[in-house]
Amino acid sequence: MADADEDVIPRSGPLPEDIDLSEETQDFRFLAAISNEDAKIPKRGEKDFEPHATALQSNTLAASRQAMHNALSFQRVHQPKGYTTATYHPESNMAYAYNPKGPLFARMGQVLPGKEDPLGDDELRGNRLWLLPEEVLYLVERGTLDVRWPADDDDGEDKGLPMSLQGAYAMFIGDEESHGQALTFERYSVYSGLKRMGYTVQRAPSWNSPGPPLRPECYPPPPQRTWQPGFFSINHWWKTWFAGSSDDHDKDQASDQLIQPGLYRNYADIYRRLALIDWYDPTRHLPSEAEAPSTDAGFRVMYHIWKPGSQTFKKSAPGPPDFRIAVVDGRATAVPTLEQLGALMDAVPYAPPKEDGQLYQKVRHGYKNVILAIVDQGVVSYLRIADAGFGHEKLYDRKVKGFGGKRGGGRGGRGRGR
Amino acid sequence: MSQPPAANDHPPAALPSDQSPNPQQPEAASNPPEPTPTSPPNRPPRPKKKKGPNYALLHSSPLPLSTHPLPPFHPSHPLSLLHLCYTYLSHLLSPPSSHPTTLYTGYFSPQTRSVHITDPRTMRALWEMGFFGKGTLSRSEPSWLERESAKVLAERAGEGVGRGGAAEEATRRRREERRLFKLERARVERGRIERQRAVEEGRITVEEAARLGAGDEGKVGGDGEVGGGGREEEQPLLGTGAPAASLTDGGGQLLDPASAQAEPSLAPGNTIAPTSTGPTEPSVNENPTHPPNPAEQHPELNIPNQEHLQLTLEEAFFLSFALGVLEIRPYPSTTTSTTATPDPNLTPTTLLGLFTAHSTFPPTLTPTPTPPIATLPPDSPFLLAYTTYHHFRSLGWVIRPGVKFAVDYLLYNRGPVFSHAEFGVLVLPAYTHPYWSSAAGLEHRRKGNGGRREGKDWWWLHCVNRVQSQVRKTLVLAFVDVPPPYCEVAAGEGEGGQGIAGLLRRYEIREFVVKRWLANRSRD
Repeated sequence: MADADEDVIPRSGPLPEDIDLSEETQDFRFLAAISNEDAKIPKRGEKDFEPHATALQSNTLAASRQAMHNALSFQRVHQPKGYTTATYHPESNMAYAYNPKGPLFARMGQVLPGKEDPLGDDELRGNRLWLLPEEVLYLVERGTLDVRWPADDDDGEDKGLPMSLQGAYAMFIGDEESHGQALTFERYSVYSGLKRMGYTVQRAPSWNSPGPPLRPECYPPPPQRTWQPGFFSINHWWKTWFAGSSDDHDKDQASDQLIQPGLYRNYADIYRRLALIDWYDPTRHLPSEAEAPSTDAGFRVMYHIWKPGSQTFKKSAPGPPDFRIAVVDGRATAVPTLEQLGALMDAVPYAPPKEDGQLYQKVRHGYKNVILAIVDQGVVSYLRIADAGFGHEKLYDRKVKGFGGKRGGGRGGRGRGR
Repeated sequence: MSQPPAANDHPPAALPSDQSPNPQQPEAASNPPEPTPTSPPNRPPRPKKKKGPNYALLHSSPLPLSTHPLPPFHPSHPLSLLHLCYTYLSHLLSPPSSHPTTLYTGYFSPQTRSVHITDPRTMRALWEMGFFGKGTLSRSEPSWLERESAKVLAERAGEGVGRGGAAEEATRRRREERRLFKLERARVERGRIERQRAVEEGRITVEEAARLGAGDEGKVGGDGEVGGGGREEEQPLLGTGAPAASLTDGGGQLLDPASAQAEPSLAPGNTIAPTSTGPTEPSVNENPTHPPNPAEQHPELNIPNQEHLQLTLEEAFFLSFALGVLEIRPYPSTTTSTTATPDPNLTPTTLLGLFTAHSTFPPTLTPTPTPPIATLPPDSPFLLAYTTYHHFRSLGWVIRPGVKFAVDYLLYNRGPVFSHAEFGVLVLPAYTHPYWSSAAGLEHRRKGNGGRREGKDWWWLHCVNRVQSQVRKTLVLAFVDVPPPYCEVAAGEGEGGQGIAGLLRRYEIREFVVKRWLANRSRD
């Protein structure tokens, strides 16, 4: 029936893949239920939309609030088994720890080679793990790490004063502008959110600069030459005999009509003549000399993330990341212009969809993609932007009913018969 | 034309197809169930499904042009070779034309900034071949006359409620049912709260309240996703406020039997169970090609068609310039006499200037009637919208206005009758040419934008994205790269000359697909 779209307004709520429970405040009473062995994950409950003035409703609310208070007031202690101490290094604004144990440190921190180590190439260098500011802050918040101020000489044997959480925030986020490494609160929100979900997050090369020169993998592969001269000539001869006049650009200029009245064999011919507007082709091969990327400061890839279950990630050889995140300040920037988006897309490797995929899947997957993390005062929203090549998917060329696909097969038969 | 009363007992052709899946109709119940050994004896007979119109046949032409393919050649049938030669020679000697012999006519209306089509043949042709336009008194397909005739016929036949076959009737019926369902649900909810309060205040005991509550049968529970999904697994709680893990008692139910008699609208044949959410088909269409039009079948009704087909400016320009099947004229003015001069047809060049002027409100009319193309602002809303429209049409998509879903355009694979739109397109201008960064360029840009701060904010984009994901579409941002104006560029550009095609060839479109990324769901 005509215009069935009005019926699409779904009454079953959002799709299962669109429900993101981390966006809503959960009911803390379910925490107590989960502590049992046979507890199921509870489904989303019903909302009441207005106060009823019933004791049942107010008691339920009070119980939920009490459960939240109980959960938050739980005292967190450092476990003696996994206790790790790190020392703050003011000049580079990082912290270092000696041989930290624990599964978290398998994916965080790095051992610097002798030339880069700020403390020099002494005998402890191989055991010294340097942690970036966001990593330190995340671990301190989590309670895994105990960061100490550098020990003064007159403190004797002490390890140095412990750094409080407020101090950690002040040093690692507040003081970054003077160091030029720019860990802003927005980037830290994205980092900690992704880490909490289990991803492995590392800084991208374009963290605070336009980035390294573009490598060949950012460009689509050059087109292959097909060497079939015989086929070409028969095709050409066939077209001139049977397919009508060839398109002529000069004629279009003078007239006020694109499609002149005439004899057309199928609609694909008409559609081909209608093609007038240029479109950006993501598979077009660009010149091979390495261009310097010109990404805008507000739109740069900042984090490379790997999925939590990734088997191929090793600190020494991480491999290509699963996703690339560009952190955007939602209050300071607007929706990106074409130059900003284009520069951002140029810096991302070429990842085309499968050749034999379905039409919608291919268009939605896109030829290059990046994930924007838009942070609005601590609330993060992720949008995946992909460079779609609509111009590659010509609907009239697909073999569907109603576009004359079957008749094309008949023409081939006649050609061979002659 | 009165139907005999006994005819109502048979499963008639008058049974609307959207009620037919419901097996509790009195008409269907009067059928004797066919005793087959395989089907269970209690199963009601499956009612006959009425065929809708054959959309694949109706809309077999994607554009209002006709093509003349050569017949296929089968090597096993030598006669097909003769047929092929005959067709080929006849095409050589007297070539048939792709355009209709008399072109379609439309009238440009500056008040509504659209082109009106009043001729019924044109209206049907433009809708069926490419889904152009919208009927002014219908939802999209111009079906007002059919519905009016059906309504008049039904009233004459004395059935009371008109049984129109068009889509609007089905929508109206479904909305009415939904409204009644919501009233029911609200009443049940109020009753439950009242009972709860009464229990807490000690007016009635818990057992009485349970008895009153249990009288409701879950007939309204079909809308379980909204009402009952979260409630099923929690036990009913009617105690005096003991904070158990459950929140509410089970489900939205119908009222208890005590007040059932008060509802005359809840006739037994009119249940509140919601019908299927898929598109419903219009009824009474046995004819595979054109649906039988009640207006044509009963010419004595003589209802003047008050509806016309309305084309947006982009659609009208596409039909007139790109395809050349539409002639657009200004509305004949009633003051001057029409015998002396015939109405002039507006050429596409004139139309371009006219539509560009009317694309902003109030229209920026120029002193000269036909401004040269070179002086038109290249980032006028009409040119941006038209280049996007032309681009997607030339790829084969059916593109229709998308204001219902907060986007500029909707893209359909074959048409609205075949499937839902998959993409919603937003058109955004892009100024990458160095001219637009110069002082003159900045000046022109700001004028064209109406003084608004350039650039949209993120909240707007998130709103539109939410709407699209709610209706299961994908958002596409189409950036139109605006070229510098003609007069600012050196005359020896040599790209495309001065025609309209040359003007359009200077634009470039780049599309981006925007989708929400859920970190929680991409972990594996």
